[in-house]
Amino acid sequence: MEEQDSRGWNPYLAGALSGLVIVFSVGLAGKFLGASTTFVRTAGMLEKLLTPERVNRLEYFLKEIPQIDWQWMFVAGIFLGSWLAAKTGGDFRWQALPAMWEGRFGPSRLTRAFVAFSGGAVAMFGARLADG
Amino acid sequence: MTILLYGLITGILFGFLLQRGRVLRYDKQLGALRLMDMTIVKFMLTSILVAMAGVYLLKDLGWAQLSIKPTIMGGNILGGLIFGLGWGLLGYCPGTAVGALGEGRWDALWGVLGMLAGAGLFAEAYPFLKTTALTWGNLGKLTLPQLLGVSHWLIIPLMALGGLGLFFWFEKKGL
Repeated sequence: MEEQDSRGWNPYLAGALSGLVIVFSVGLAGKFLGASTTFVRTAGMLEKLLTPERVNRLEYFLKEIPQIDWQWMFVAGIFLGSWLAAKTGGDFRWQALPAMWEGRFGPSRLTRAFVAFSGGAVAMFGARLADG
Repeated sequence: MTILLYGLITGILFGFLLQRGRVLRYDKQLGALRLMDMTIVKFMLTSILVAMAGVYLLKDLGWAQLSIKPTIMGGNILGGLIFGLGWGLLGYCPGTAVGALGEGRWDALWGVLGMLAGAGLFAEAYPFLKTTALTWGNLGKLTLPQLLGVSHWLIIPLMALGGLGLFFWFEKKGL
């Protein structure tokens, strides 16, 4: 982990640059950064494949229309940007279990999948409730 | 179409910096939650401080508008508690889960799927929550300068000083 750490940028520098990205986004596109609404829109788009008339009736999907918008592209961009940085920096690597997790909870991928899925569901519910 | 392109470019830049700042990792996120490694806090708070000064400058120049979400105590407090519980279990937040997947940490995929399920569940619960938790303590759109009746150019340097103090303390403690 230490050896991997040495390849990273200073977190203050990376943070400050990301702050400038926010300022440019607000100035040029009028858009503030966020990610969680994208999960609502994507959930709506997926549900629409199965039960379109039901999605059209749900009040929350009238508020957050299930379609691709600025933030959806922003979230897709995070994936690409991270991939690009990891590839060019030489630290892309497939990893099934985080080191700290494995050290504490053992090598079961099923346990990690269950906890990560549940945690994701709970976190997103909370994020939407707090409107963040 | 242009706006979608702006979104993509902004995301690529942001994702690149998240990866280089090493904040897309479970170990770093749990490190912050366990008060052992403040990398995430350093990144996040520096980002906020720079953006705070820059966005207010744009606002004063008339080039941008603020986007203020209403303060609703019920939703903010309950939502925050629930979010924290889930974050601690997953070890990625919504944006960083997608980024973690980009650098090959594919346990984040379970988190992304879980978050889609959570978003769907929230849509089901919304009609109920709208008449309950989301009405408790609705204080409207608040900002600190407006609440205290002072210029934002007083609050911003104070926030920056507070942040710097915290950073010096982190470095002194080796966090």
